[in-house]
Amino acid sequence: MELSITGTNAITYPVVHVWDWRVAIYLFLGGLAGGLMTMSAINYLRPGKKCGPMQSVCCWQIPVLAPILLSIGLFFLWLDLERKLHGHLFYMTFKPLSPMSWGAWIVLIIYPLMILYALAALPDEVKVRIKNAFIKNTADALAPHLAKLAKFNLVFGVLLAIYTGILLSTFVARPLWNSAILPLLFLASGMSTGAAVMIIVAKNKEVKLFFTKLDIWLILGELLIIALLFYGHYTGDAAHQAAIMPFFNSSHDTFPYFLSIVTIGIVLPLAIVMKFLEVTGKHTDEVTGFGLFLMNSSAVLVLIGGAVIRFALVYAGQLSGYGYVMM
Amino acid sequence: MPRYAMVIDQSRCIGCMACVVACKRENDVPPEHYRTRVLEMVQGTFPDLTTEMRSELCNHCDKAPCVNICPTGASHHEEDGTVQIDRKKCVGCKACITSCPYNARHINKELGVADKCTFCQHRLIEGKKPACVATCVGGSRIFGDLDDPNSEISVLLRKTSHRVLKKSIGTGPNVYYINQYPTRS
Amino acid sequence: MAFSRRNFLKFAAMSAGGAVLADTPFISAEARAKAEGGNVKYVPTSCEMCFWKCGAIAKVVDGKVVKLEGNPYHPQSRGKLCARGQGGIGQLYDEDRLKHPMILEGKRGEGKYRKASWDEALDYVAKKMKAIAAKHGPEAIAMMSHGSSGDYITNVLKAMGSRNIAFPSFAQCKGIRDEAWLLTYGHKPGSSCEQVDLENSRVIVLIGTHLGENMHNSQNQEFAEAVGRGAKIICVDPRYSTAASKSSFWLPIKPGTDTALLLAWINIVISEELYDKEYVEKYTVGLEEVKEAVKKYTPEWAAQETELPMRQIIESVHELCRYAPNVVVHPGRHYSWYGNDTQRARAVAILNALLGTWGRKGGMWLPPKAKFAKFNDGAPAYPPASKPPLIRGDFPFAGGAGVTQVLRDATITGNPYPIKAWFVAGTNLMKALPNQEKTQDAIDNLDLLVAVDIMPTETVMLADVILPECTYLERHDGLYKIKTREAGVAIRQPAVEPMYETKPAWWIGSELCKKLGLDQYAVKGNGMDAWEGRMRRQAKAWGIDFDKLSKDTGYVTIPGSERPYITADNQPFFDTFSEKINLYSEALEEEGFDPVPQYEEVEQPPKDMFRLIYGRSPVHTFSRTINTQWLWELQKENEVWLNKKEAKRLGVKNGQYVRLENQDGMRCNKIKAKVTERIRHDCVYMVHGFGHNAPQMTRADGSGADDQKLITKYIEDPITGGTGMRVNFVKIIKEA
Repeated sequence: MELSITGTNAITYPVVHVWDWRVAIYLFLGGLAGGLMTMSAINYLRPGKKCGPMQSVCCWQIPVLAPILLSIGLFFLWLDLERKLHGHLFYMTFKPLSPMSWGAWIVLIIYPLMILYALAALPDEVKVRIKNAFIKNTADALAPHLAKLAKFNLVFGVLLAIYTGILLSTFVARPLWNSAILPLLFLASGMSTGAAVMIIVAKNKEVKLFFTKLDIWLILGELLIIALLFYGHYTGDAAHQAAIMPFFNSSHDTFPYFLSIVTIGIVLPLAIVMKFLEVTGKHTDEVTGFGLFLMNSSAVLVLIGGAVIRFALVYAGQLSGYGYVMM
Repeated sequence: MPRYAMVIDQSRCIGCMACVVACKRENDVPPEHYRTRVLEMVQGTFPDLTTEMRSELCNHCDKAPCVNICPTGASHHEEDGTVQIDRKKCVGCKACITSCPYNARHINKELGVADKCTFCQHRLIEGKKPACVATCVGGSRIFGDLDDPNSEISVLLRKTSHRVLKKSIGTGPNVYYINQYPTRS
Repeated sequence: MAFSRRNFLKFAAMSAGGAVLADTPFISAEARAKAEGGNVKYVPTSCEMCFWKCGAIAKVVDGKVVKLEGNPYHPQSRGKLCARGQGGIGQLYDEDRLKHPMILEGKRGEGKYRKASWDEALDYVAKKMKAIAAKHGPEAIAMMSHGSSGDYITNVLKAMGSRNIAFPSFAQCKGIRDEAWLLTYGHKPGSSCEQVDLENSRVIVLIGTHLGENMHNSQNQEFAEAVGRGAKIICVDPRYSTAASKSSFWLPIKPGTDTALLLAWINIVISEELYDKEYVEKYTVGLEEVKEAVKKYTPEWAAQETELPMRQIIESVHELCRYAPNVVVHPGRHYSWYGNDTQRARAVAILNALLGTWGRKGGMWLPPKAKFAKFNDGAPAYPPASKPPLIRGDFPFAGGAGVTQVLRDATITGNPYPIKAWFVAGTNLMKALPNQEKTQDAIDNLDLLVAVDIMPTETVMLADVILPECTYLERHDGLYKIKTREAGVAIRQPAVEPMYETKPAWWIGSELCKKLGLDQYAVKGNGMDAWEGRMRRQAKAWGIDFDKLSKDTGYVTIPGSERPYITADNQPFFDTFSEKINLYSEALEEEGFDPVPQYEEVEQPPKDMFRLIYGRSPVHTFSRTINTQWLWELQKENEVWLNKKEAKRLGVKNGQYVRLENQDGMRCNKIKAKVTERIRHDCVYMVHGFGHNAPQMTRADGSGADDQKLITKYIEDPITGGTGMRVNFVKIIKEA
């Protein structure tokens, strides 16, 4: 076939290149923020937790971190807008069938939940340092409702993380994304990265170990879902089959995708092994230097894996399509 | 209300690109950006070759993914069946561009909004055909009202076997293609 | 919807009979502007993005042209414009345009100019012209031209007593064909357009005519209509062109052997008695001589010569005869291929005559009948030429449009008399004439080179004085006689005021006349509306309503002029000695040429070299439009088409840059290889007009390759003086 096209736009030809790293970062941080909401809530709500005498959650930093990360993510998304001063247009209407519209509105629900939760979870020693009386009083007033807020955060964390995948999965034009598995992958990845950050931030060994154990299951789930995603495409129509090809072709053009799948294939299993070593090892009350290293470095691997998944899928998804020449 | 659609008789397309330039000038499309394009596809080996000429534009789909995804309602259906963009409402999130299986959209960098073929709605109002149709040298682009059983396109579509692009995606496109290749002796 | 009903009704009422979706409803430019309100103006005019002279309507908003549309009344456009016509605004608003008169400072080619006033520039030119005329005679001032602007400078030269005026459109293009048809039918095959009745044809034969890429508006409209209707196309071309892609028979002929095919076809038509006996009997002379002369051109022989399957040769001509006379063998246009082209054109003309196409539906319509009163606005007759003009060279059938390269040769040699000044108007000689070295040599010999043009092309930037003309959207030109099936008159008038310090060519010519003391040949009246006054007088002389033409329709028909087909009371007139179609040409015989075309072999490329053939792009007109934004965007550079197998052998990949080097060691700019199944193995093809060496043309400069640079060799057709330019061979050199 000899093809020549007159009148193409750089944004869609020779390949679609609409969204870039800004969107990938947003999806990663959005998922991570969701993961943090849920993980922190799990930590608070789980029975039999032994994380000290605090009346609130352990690692109060996590609930504070979640809205900050989401804000950074949204900042990058905002950077991607062509009309940055017209952001309010998102809130002039609600489009029930537009996942983009949901995203805009979900944020409006999630932010208060996150912030209220963060305030309620502030420990006394932090509160005393707060100068602003309003914040302090609000935090005090919210403290009794911590459990309720935690439950809400648990649910909305899941929604946020899954949402980041739903957005992409609705694009019928982009076969790689157009899979119901994709939201689950982003959910698993969001939760897993959330757990990883918990591990890094938490001081308490019991908490670290708990999330290390949990993360093993999350990563296993994530790997399974990746496999299912690829298998689903592999057994799909020609466009879906072609959509995953960049990941299995080490030629010049597709090398970054090939590299990404190799990276994911290394860092996530490696993280599992390291975590497994850690949880099966003998434990004293003190965290050994090596143990700390294992846990933290495996957590970092999980974060890398999560970021690579977002970047690879955002870029490769745009390569996929029903082609210029297809009937 | 009419239901506008376009029929493209590929056999009449001589690849002159008049439509491409007419569209750009009519709609003040910025340099290096296009709302319509022409594909020339040649298959076979010398000297047994066949060609398909195909002009493409926004399909004004009945089930338009771009309308679905648009978070602000900027992309919308109008009563005449066309898909239009309300520039005042567009925030430039580009989801519609990604969502279009036909790659029919682009960003108008001068305005920061998504842009695409409007079927020259401003001309339809004046009773004129879209600019590309009006100037189509080969008479390959034919425009009209599907709801009018006597319109040129209704008659053509009844008489001729036709297809739409990427039908299986299910977007319900409103640009129809008819193609009668010459029989080669 | 976003419009008021009131508004809708207003427009609906405006369009013919209130029908919505009419083809560009165009009642009256004035009425339409009024309906739209605001500062909208519609100006009917004539396009000059190429030379088909389509009727265009310029939409002007607040003094700016925003859109161009085809004039529905004009038979050359029929409401449509091609890409170039649509993109004409790009020429008007091209920031690279020549903006003010310039006089050379320093050496030619260095490009150092000083800005001059019109007065100064024209004074300078007039003074030099007078000096040259005094020393060498007025015939030492020559001119080469293409397009409308040349007419006004022609006037100056003729008024001075020089007839050395030549148009590249003759010897480098279609003059050869016109002379061959004059010899055969006593008519050119068309004036405004070829008289082909494509829209009614059942079979159309195209020999090297690539309609679709050769974008002549109305002709392509009819071609597409024919294809859409199911007419059979027989396309003879070594390249799978757009037209070939629409054809039932594609004959990928070996380049240079077209006449062999035509003669074999003629042989088949006569020997199998497939010709139109009654027609041939009634309207032609010389059948028996032709029969004898083509006997030896058997299909077997032709198959061998043309490298086409014999079956294809026979079947295609049978198909042609089956539907005769509602068929046409297109006369073609660009004919300067191999240096024996008049005879090829004769063969085409003879074949048409045998099939009886002249004056038949689906064949060739008869020229319209119309008389236009002679009008020269009271200017006196031109003084006789001081010395016989050189423009016909030694070619017995060179036409009045002149043989450019003869002028060039005389300029170099000074024989038979010196030529010391050139006017160049609207043509980029460096790209139009073969062998650029000779063109340069000739220019080096000149005392004065004056360029009248719009863009700073390579030729313009060699001039001593540059006179910037305004574009067709800013000026008046003549009232045009348009001869299609009917005769009509069209107008060119400004849509906007001239930009910068540019002037219409009529004004330039007129002012120059005044400076030369030839006031009686200048336009009557003063000021910028003097020409419009002349147009009004011309319209009056022709009996045309000027106001209707200029404000309303842009084109008016001469009623009763149309008489396309032969009927009992509409008999064709052949302006030949025999008053019939000369199948056998005594005129040629008298001059020692073959009275019936005979086949002459052309040189074939040596091993590892390819014949260079060239053609056109639908979005560009020669080298004129490459810099025009909207068109440049569509095609920024040309590609060299290379057969896939050959490319594989040479290790050239699709999209790779290569250079071509011809038999004389001349190399072109780097050019992208288009590796394709669409061309024969023995030739390469590129679109003509690219590879500008004109730094002031910021977009066009240096993009693509210039075929003319590689055309160092040319063979002159001994009959008409046409320059065969497809006789150059190139090898491919891969770019490191």
